[in-house]
Amino acid sequence: MPEIPQHRIVLRPVQTELTAPAGSALRDLLFAQGVEFPCGGQGRCRGCRVHVLEGLASVNDAQRERLSPEELATGWRLACQCTLDDDLVIELRQWDAAILVDETPFAFEPRPGLGVAVDLGTTTLVTQLLDLSTGHVLAVRTALNSQARFGADVMSRVQFAVAKGGAQQLRELIRQQIGSLIEQLVFAAQVPDGEITDVVVVGNTVMHHLFCGLDVEPLSRYPFESEHLGLQTFHAGDLAWKLSGEARVRFLPCLGGFVGSDILAGILATNLSEREDLNGLVDLGTNGEIVMGNRQRLLCASTAAGPAFEGARISMGMRAATGAISEVKVKDHAINCRVLGNVLPVGLCGSGLVDAVAAGLELGRIQPSGRFTDGAGAWELAAPVVLTQGDIRELQLAKGAIAAGIRILLDRFGATAGDLKKLYLAGAFGNYINRASAQRIGLISFPSEKVEAAGNTALLGAKLALFRPEGEDGSFARLRHQTEHVALNADQSFQETFVEEMAFPQSTSA
Amino acid sequence: MTQFEELQQAIIDGKAPVSKALTEKMLKEGIRPGEFFSKAIIPAMDEVGRRMRECEFFIPEVLIAARAARASSDILRPLLVGEDAMSSVGIVVCGTVKGDLHDIGKNIVAMMLESAGFKIVDLGVDVSAEKIVDAVRSNQANLVALSALLTTTMVNMKGVVEALAAAGLRDKVKIMVGGAPVTDAWAHSIGADGYGKDAPAAVELARQLVAA
Repeated sequence: MPEIPQHRIVLRPVQTELTAPAGSALRDLLFAQGVEFPCGGQGRCRGCRVHVLEGLASVNDAQRERLSPEELATGWRLACQCTLDDDLVIELRQWDAAILVDETPFAFEPRPGLGVAVDLGTTTLVTQLLDLSTGHVLAVRTALNSQARFGADVMSRVQFAVAKGGAQQLRELIRQQIGSLIEQLVFAAQVPDGEITDVVVVGNTVMHHLFCGLDVEPLSRYPFESEHLGLQTFHAGDLAWKLSGEARVRFLPCLGGFVGSDILAGILATNLSEREDLNGLVDLGTNGEIVMGNRQRLLCASTAAGPAFEGARISMGMRAATGAISEVKVKDHAINCRVLGNVLPVGLCGSGLVDAVAAGLELGRIQPSGRFTDGAGAWELAAPVVLTQGDIRELQLAKGAIAAGIRILLDRFGATAGDLKKLYLAGAFGNYINRASAQRIGLISFPSEKVEAAGNTALLGAKLALFRPEGEDGSFARLRHQTEHVALNADQSFQETFVEEMAFPQSTSA
Repeated sequence: MTQFEELQQAIIDGKAPVSKALTEKMLKEGIRPGEFFSKAIIPAMDEVGRRMRECEFFIPEVLIAARAARASSDILRPLLVGEDAMSSVGIVVCGTVKGDLHDIGKNIVAMMLESAGFKIVDLGVDVSAEKIVDAVRSNQANLVALSALLTTTMVNMKGVVEALAAAGLRDKVKIMVGGAPVTDAWAHSIGADGYGKDAPAAVELARQLVAA
């Protein structure tokens, strides 16, 4: 009997090496390494996609359906569809899929044609192609914002834009990128591009201005107020998008300061402006944005929370990718860490950071002041990952800013935490953060049952906007005028409240 | 523990009522106002600075300690006479530059400089170059401390340096800069005299600059 050849697989970034007989299912091999297969290895989702860096892995129809030609050409494969036919070097990027796509069912009035909803984030882009007559999502494409190489946060993007020629360069980059994502959507769904009648784009004020070609200089300095917050309408041709029809492209209006149409879309998605009782929406990102209100009145604000929740400026911080500690639980006076991808830990992501500090407070290792009780500089969570005193300080700044913003908006309503019916957490981080931990560190001082992860509300709101008839554009302007922007940095009580909120609450169990 | 040590401890612990009561009691017992600074307030704030640098203290602890120091110094300043009254180490004009509203870091630096014996003229936030020039002139300041927390506003520090030069005051004052996006290299590139990476470093730098 001939000997079955063996192949070698190297997994990155964890550097695990495996050897297995030719013909083995990659699914079984990777499953044993902790890779998850969200649809159960049926080839029905993209959850298990891996990046083949070296070696050959075959492509089948299921992969052609789920992956774009570009992705296939650059070595992306669905792990569940591959057998081992070669020595492989594979990058496990499964958890980079932290880009949150919205799949919430929604009510709509059918209309003919196709529509595209675009959530234009500072870091990530999400686009969905919809059949406007059925509400079905025909295709989804996500990407990292190609402007990001000119600055990770909005302020550095603004700084680049105010320099000579910068704004034009950023405008062309983002217009081209969204145009190309739309082409990919059309290709993936195999629909005629001429049927696209509507594109709705939402994003923060800086993204709005850069895309629309508006001057961002007023956003570079106090009072950070631009004159041009309104709805901007284009035709696909104006943007040099290769669509055969005359699609109408609308960038929804901004609310004020840095609070953009992504938050306006969030109000649409959570229906805050239609409700009798007081509700809130918080988007936890580099800029923490907060909206609070009811059908009479809405207030919004943004706080420069800093990038702690995204792992930046945390000594061993990382995005929610393979190897990140994403959960820390206390059991029998010890901690238990969950690592994404079930590999050896390499860092700490935002949800893990919040959990770790909550656990430290619970165990008495961290004082309410934020200081390590034993005066040490660091606490080993799971070797080699440590939480340092400096990391706790970064989290205190971030959570202090958000908590202070929430408190000040509640104060403006003359309300307390008890008066709030629901607090929706938008965005990827809002989905993954442990609500009990968020409460323990005082990020959100509401009982867990009042706090609800709302998903990508920006994208959902953009989709809802696609179904609004042409004559109803005025409703966006009304919503914008109904929402008052509170400039927290100019609020007398903000600095004081911010400092007060930096400390952690005393133990609840004591 | 001596009374000065008690006062030091009250400041470090951020107990403003205690530091106020102790100061009043010690004054009644005949202690000279000037002695409080060298024997309690300055060493206490130096200790606060050390703890801040070692991450043991964070912004809230530093602020409440500075408040406790102020509870004492507010009583003492009006009482300073003769030699003590003249003994301010230097006169500092400080502020956050035009376009920028961040004031926590600037306040901490101002309070620590004040506790270290400097006279502070705090112009607040969003301060124009002209306002700084005017304040330097009218207060005969020998030090300017500028803060900026945004990459887009730190460029305005350069404008202040230029405005002071244009007003013929550049050789009368030393200029120090600080804030999250600011670096030593930036300080040099705009012609400032120094960069303080944190509040304790700013106090140390201020001492060096006025001694130079």
